[in-house]
Amino acid sequence: MEREVIESDLVLPTHLGFKKIQMYEKYPKGQARGRHWKHLKQIIQAENYQNYPPDVPNCEFKSNTFSWVFSPDINIESPPSMHPCKRICDITGFEAPYYDPRTNLRYANAEVFKAIRSLPNDYVQRYLALRNAAVVLR
Amino acid sequence: MPFISKIQRQTDYSRFPSSHPIVIDNGGSYFRIGWAGEANPRVIFRNIVQRPRHKTTGETVTIVGDHDPALLKYFDCTRSGPRSAFDSNVVYQFEIMEYILDFGFNRLGADGSQIDHPVLITECACNPVQSRSKMAELLFESYGVPSVGLHRTNKHLVLMLHSVTSIINNVGFVIKMALQSAQDLAQVMLSQYDFPSRMSAEGFTYGSDGNSLCVFEFSLSTESQFMKHVAVLISRLTWEKVEDLKMEHCYIAPDYASEVRLFQKGAKEAEEKTRCWQLPWTPSPALEPPSEEEIARKAALKEKQGQRLREMAEAKRSSKINELENESKNLEFLLLQLRHVPENEVPSFLSKTGYVSKQEIESAFTKTTQSLRKYKGELENEEKADLSAAEKYTLINIPDNILTPEQVKEKKRQLFLKTTSEGRQRAKQKRFEEDLERERQNKQDEEKRLENPELYLGQLRAKHRELSEKVEQRKRLKTNGGHSNGNNVSGGVGRGERLNAAQRERMRLLTTAAFDRGKGEDTFGYKDEDWQLYKLMSKDNEDDDEGPDEDEAELGRVSSRLRDIDPTFVSRSEAGPSETSHLRPLTKEDFQIVLGVERFRCPEIIFNPNLIGIDQAGLDEMAGVSITRLPAACQSLDERMTNSILMMGGNCLFPGMAERLEAGIRMIRPCGIPIRVMGASDPILDAWRGAAAYAAGMQFPQQTFSKVDYYEKGEDWLRQYQLRYTF
Repeated sequence: MEREVIESDLVLPTHLGFKKIQMYEKYPKGQARGRHWKHLKQIIQAENYQNYPPDVPNCEFKSNTFSWVFSPDINIESPPSMHPCKRICDITGFEAPYYDPRTNLRYANAEVFKAIRSLPNDYVQRYLALRNAAVVLR
Repeated sequence: MPFISKIQRQTDYSRFPSSHPIVIDNGGSYFRIGWAGEANPRVIFRNIVQRPRHKTTGETVTIVGDHDPALLKYFDCTRSGPRSAFDSNVVYQFEIMEYILDFGFNRLGADGSQIDHPVLITECACNPVQSRSKMAELLFESYGVPSVGLHRTNKHLVLMLHSVTSIINNVGFVIKMALQSAQDLAQVMLSQYDFPSRMSAEGFTYGSDGNSLCVFEFSLSTESQFMKHVAVLISRLTWEKVEDLKMEHCYIAPDYASEVRLFQKGAKEAEEKTRCWQLPWTPSPALEPPSEEEIARKAALKEKQGQRLREMAEAKRSSKINELENESKNLEFLLLQLRHVPENEVPSFLSKTGYVSKQEIESAFTKTTQSLRKYKGELENEEKADLSAAEKYTLINIPDNILTPEQVKEKKRQLFLKTTSEGRQRAKQKRFEEDLERERQNKQDEEKRLENPELYLGQLRAKHRELSEKVEQRKRLKTNGGHSNGNNVSGGVGRGERLNAAQRERMRLLTTAAFDRGKGEDTFGYKDEDWQLYKLMSKDNEDDDEGPDEDEAELGRVSSRLRDIDPTFVSRSEAGPSETSHLRPLTKEDFQIVLGVERFRCPEIIFNPNLIGIDQAGLDEMAGVSITRLPAACQSLDERMTNSILMMGGNCLFPGMAERLEAGIRMIRPCGIPIRVMGASDPILDAWRGAAAYAAGMQFPQQTFSKVDYYEKGEDWLRQYQLRYTF
């Protein structure tokens, strides 16, 4: 290791005195590590089977002690919006009532349209990806 | 940098008794750890982990938090991006969490065989049991923590504020807009319910957070400006840099549509609001037009050089002439001598001089005299040719049967020479005639021009236009695929588009030749027709290239003519598309990033996630929804709730947030109710401070669950575990 790297204490030491089980013992080299962590969606799904219907509030009030107690989560995702969708131009950010059928990008006026038509394909995909509208080939 | 990481190793760990709690605020973006009862956390760092490989030793090391990028050059960071333990505010990757805790405790100065202090650690709202239990497991089993308290950040802020000021009268609404995700909890203190709605969901890489989506959008829009510029000397925008830019420059517009209209019109207010970021740039040294003396000097130099060359050529020529003269004199002398020598001594005499026969000498002599004359510039080529023709073609006219075999050979050679020289003469003649013809045409043109200049010019211009169009069209056909964005629905974006008809035909031939031959055996070549394919293929290739050349040559001629006679003519190809602007010198503007619309477009996605394709309600709408979700019994508390709305978290640092939120909530709640939105005094650290204050209080030890509890009751008990906040 270079001297300045050691001096700056950049790297996490492999052996830490206050830990009972060190990392290198837990995850021996060569083992695939990250695959077995569940994502949030899966966790929530796993919980839901055992629990209450989603509408029930997940916390209760205990009036005698003036405190409140919360039960664990079911699903607190936000619902879709009630407002009408606001369409803005993908390139400039202005309001965009039109869209280009070939590339599916929204544009605000004719100059922007010219610019869109001259874009190479991967830029188009990146703009679309911003809007989560890109075609994912996987 | 708006957030500064503090990662100094603390030295006073041993000073604290083992009942003194450690307070950890495990946020989506930053990790704060410190001692209870203090005003500020001791250690703050970004909640990410990188595992790059060291370049020279090759081992994989772990780096937690963000560090000086200069030091990272020793590591190969390409295969490991920074990773976060969170998935929209819920910890799910506990290996990374472990690294982070390691680092945190390490920097706090921990030593000894285990962490002996009780730990108060934050979690998000409605943390799933699995996440909690794994966290507890980590703390108890790996670190040996004696007891753990899990709490929610927003509560702490409220508690803190409650203890410090009494603005919030018992009922409040906390909107936690952490950099990670926005959660708002209708918080009813001393009262009933609490309805979180989490605005962050699935794949929401709102952060891997809303933060980074804002950031990404920001970076893409600034990059798009670069596409227009020529210089791509600018290094790529890194994630941190863009985040800095975002925190510094972004603001929330009170109403997106009207702001945007301002910018679209190009009004003066828009100009003021636009920020321009000038990157370091050195102007290239300007080439001044050469001054008079420069030109004169250069001309003189050229003259001198030309003269020198001429002199050299002269010298060479004269030396050559001298040589030839000497040579010819020698030969003459030889010939003279030869005449005087008797017949039988000729061979021996000749062998001394090196020539075999008299004829040879004679021919050599004539050659030298001729070249001499040529150098002296007196002789014409035709004469020479005539001489040699008269000499050499003597044998041709004599019929074959009289001649000896040698002579026959000689005759053939002469015949061959004659035909070639005649051919050459004929070609010369033709060229001469063509030149004459062209001269005549030019004269005609001139006459036409003189009599009617306008008409002539018009005609010429029209011709030029036609020709250039033809040429351009052909060019366009050739390179068709490159220019249009090849979003072909038919799917075949490939060479097939760029080729014209002839080339496509050739491709077709090739593919049929390759694939048509049946499986297994390759029967290509058994039939004669197969080989015809090659002829077709190569011919096609050649034909294609020759065609446009004539047109282009014609175009060249016409445009040169035009240039000569018409001072206002600029060749079409030069005045054409300005894509070839890389000849234009780079100016200061090329190195500027202009932040106009992006400044408020990015934070807009907090209020309108549809802009990035996520189908959820914006923050203000969500606030309304949360209140509506309250069960009927507490509807009466609505008013009191909206009267005190508190904002905390990193995201609420944007200017204009409070007003926008107020306007948004007003749109949803019934008319006339009081709405008051307040920002916390220090939105970033206040949560930690509240936690620290709580942990230092008397009730804390009873609220935690201890290792003993954990071993006895197990993880499932955590389902019911909650911190009770009492006043």
